[in-house]
Amino acid sequence: MRTVKILERILAVIPIMFGVAIVVFLFMRMTPGDPVDIMMGEAGYVSEGEIENLRREFNLDKPLHIQLYLFLADAIRGDLGNSYARRAPVSELIAERLPATIELALGALFVGLVVSVPIGIISAVKQYSAIDRIGMAGAFLGVSMPSFWLGILLMLLFSVRLQWLPVAGRIDYGVELRTVTGMYVLDSILTGNKAALISSLSHLVLPSISLGAAMAATVARILRSSMLEVLRQDYVTLARAKGLVESLVVLKHALRNALIPTITVVGLQVGVLLGGNMIVETVFGWPGLGRLVVQSIFARHFPLVQGAVMVYAFVFVMANLMVDVLYTYLNPKITL
Amino acid sequence: MIGNKRLASTLVTAVILLMVIAACAPPAPEVVEVTVPVEVEVEVETTVEVPVTVTPVVGPQPGGTMVIGLSAEIMTLDPADYRDTTTETVIRNMFDGLVTRSSDGRVLLQLAESATLIDGVTWEFVLKKGVTFHNGEDLTAEDVKFTFDRIITENAIEYPEPHTSPRKGLIGPVESVEIVDDYTVRLYLSAPFPAAMQMLVHQQIVPKDYFEQVGTEGFIEAPVGCGPFKFVEGSLGDQIVMERFDDYYGGADELPPVGPPLLDRVIFRILPEASTRVSALRAGEVNIIQSVPSHMIPVLATNASVRVASGPSTRPAWMEMNVNQPPFDDVRVRLAMNYAVDAETILDTVLGGLGVVIAGPLSPYNNFADPTLEPYGYDPDKALELLAEAGWTDSDEDGFLDQDGEIFTFVIDVRPTSKPRAEGLAGQLQELGIDATVRVWGDYSVLKPLMLDGERTAYVGDWGDSAFDPVGHFEAKWHSRVEGTGNGRGNFSGYSNPRVDELVAAGEIEADVERRHELYNEAQQLVYEEAPAVFLFLPDIVEASSASVQNWTVAADGRLNMHDVWFSE
Repeated sequence: MRTVKILERILAVIPIMFGVAIVVFLFMRMTPGDPVDIMMGEAGYVSEGEIENLRREFNLDKPLHIQLYLFLADAIRGDLGNSYARRAPVSELIAERLPATIELALGALFVGLVVSVPIGIISAVKQYSAIDRIGMAGAFLGVSMPSFWLGILLMLLFSVRLQWLPVAGRIDYGVELRTVTGMYVLDSILTGNKAALISSLSHLVLPSISLGAAMAATVARILRSSMLEVLRQDYVTLARAKGLVESLVVLKHALRNALIPTITVVGLQVGVLLGGNMIVETVFGWPGLGRLVVQSIFARHFPLVQGAVMVYAFVFVMANLMVDVLYTYLNPKITL
Repeated sequence: MIGNKRLASTLVTAVILLMVIAACAPPAPEVVEVTVPVEVEVEVETTVEVPVTVTPVVGPQPGGTMVIGLSAEIMTLDPADYRDTTTETVIRNMFDGLVTRSSDGRVLLQLAESATLIDGVTWEFVLKKGVTFHNGEDLTAEDVKFTFDRIITENAIEYPEPHTSPRKGLIGPVESVEIVDDYTVRLYLSAPFPAAMQMLVHQQIVPKDYFEQVGTEGFIEAPVGCGPFKFVEGSLGDQIVMERFDDYYGGADELPPVGPPLLDRVIFRILPEASTRVSALRAGEVNIIQSVPSHMIPVLATNASVRVASGPSTRPAWMEMNVNQPPFDDVRVRLAMNYAVDAETILDTVLGGLGVVIAGPLSPYNNFADPTLEPYGYDPDKALELLAEAGWTDSDEDGFLDQDGEIFTFVIDVRPTSKPRAEGLAGQLQELGIDATVRVWGDYSVLKPLMLDGERTAYVGDWGDSAFDPVGHFEAKWHSRVEGTGNGRGNFSGYSNPRVDELVAAGEIEADVERRHELYNEAQQLVYEEAPAVFLFLPDIVEASSASVQNWTVAADGRLNMHDVWFSE
């Protein structure tokens, strides 16, 4: 039953993606600014003919509904069009950049969870203790601090002053690595390449912290408050009255219920990770999709933005589907 | 059903989030220029009789890996398929052209041994012999013809779908190329093209045989040129690695040292964020960085292992005023603005004095800048006098000039990079009783159409002039509006003078240099007198390098040419 429901939900992604495609298409074209003008408008020696040629090449000379039709017709066949500036298929560019972005997002997710879960639990169990106060103060800071600023501070301390970690990039030049997935840390492990693992991990640390900090803070706060709520419920008192060990009460009985709101937030944070990626990738010279999207938005490179937003939307929908599936395991009363 | 509603709303949020977040970090590509420091190494040699002999060793040292932090991404490695300066910087370290430009803007022969203008519309180039591509093939007239045909023929580039080279416009009137013999080619023009040599600098030669064998897609993955460095590996969004081409013919004869490059390897890394580039330089991860923001110069200047280099850019800055609406439809008011603004002080305080004050519409380094024009100069009394003539006085003594009960107020639009200079300017106008305020636009693409439609009042900005010639530059800013296209490409002031239009049109095709000077001088004088802008300054390009980088200069055209550079240690 659950499998059928999951399949149904996956099929429901199709109309959602269709909707996203149309919304992005229209949003990009409603935004003032003309891609051809941005590309050529300030270069010297541009003839009217050249401008017209580019417009024709990008289909910008056609009415909006025809453009939309052409875009959707191609998209259904998996062709997202060609990048205006890079002169390569958008799907190729996304495939080239996506592994770096996923690697960074996973790194941030890892940092976020490793930091937030223990802090959230301990803060709740030992409410108003020093650990709780420090943890929540840290969380407050983490939520308030913009990721680019944190990134620059970390870079100044660990890269410029202490010189422990590299400033930017994904791997040192000269370190040989056979790419399998395009995620360097994973590839290093898969190919058993220790030098590459050290190099790629050291490049991943600071960006992951910058990107994961806000998430860690948010999740820690949510987990703490839901734990506090759960710990006051009768069944927890009952569990304690039965004489269960406190750690079992907290981790087995309380945490499981407290995780439901927490996982919801983690699912939503995937969106924040994807968005924050754009900034952190720029700060750390991380050659990911986010940076490409930012540049493409400013340059009004419609096909690339459309393609990338569809990828983001897909990841986001899938992450939330996973959250919903997880609910059913955590609380059998919930059905898909 | 828990998720569906949320899915829909989060999707919309995700899309909006993308748009909003993108508003935070716009990287701006810029251009560069340099100083030539020579470091003296002291070698101590000991013999029996003479206790100490000191031998200073000055000169090129081979070896080393140069890492360069670029401020923007590279678009392609196909020399025919891009239009931005960052890509040109990378490509021209791997590819050479018939001619090149020195860092101070002179055009020099590179692959060509001679260039002769035969009859006004025909250029003949004799190629150097013994030039080889990175794959060992000889460079001949065939390759030159192939290169230019690919650029000037419609839809000649087949990947990813057939399109015309975006570099065609750079050599507009070149109509056809003819092979005279193995080492001689002729370029036929459809009309006289006085700026031909300046523009040919931007076309690099590719090997015909190899190109036809691998196609555009294959070429981008493994480019082969005849430049000082050959491609090793890399991806466009991350970094490009190239190494010394040992069989390099030497480059332009007039740009010493002639011969293979000294560096073993050059790595171009993309670091779009300025503070990251500065950090990477301080941490020793990169050796040269592009576009150092002026507020970071003091940080770098105190670091002994780093050297800040600057030189004139090609982007003169002005405050353009909308001449078609009050208050700037009155030439007296516009002149008053020129007297009211102290460009020298803004330059000193905001840009650390790195730049020169300009007198008129062209950069003083433009080959056709009128040397007789003098900056209006700061003269607040004269400004107030002119304003009073135009009817602007402080009649109610509230500290602001007014006319018919309305105070003199306007908004200066800027892009984020020009915010400090615009604020300085607005402050100076405030002191004179003009209520000028600054509005920063995060997304220039939104602002630009408004300005072209004459819907804004004033704009502090700049405009590139990388060919050192008024063609393509003067026309964009001061030629009157073209029917149906707003104010043309960049005439934000809406300035229109039929005589100036005439002069600009004549200058574009005038072959006689003296006559061209006369035409452009007259045009500049007219723009100067009618002052559609406050003429501000030509800011410097600021870059920085490790102290060990030698013989590197900030080039006026913004390129980073690594052929002549070496490390002192």
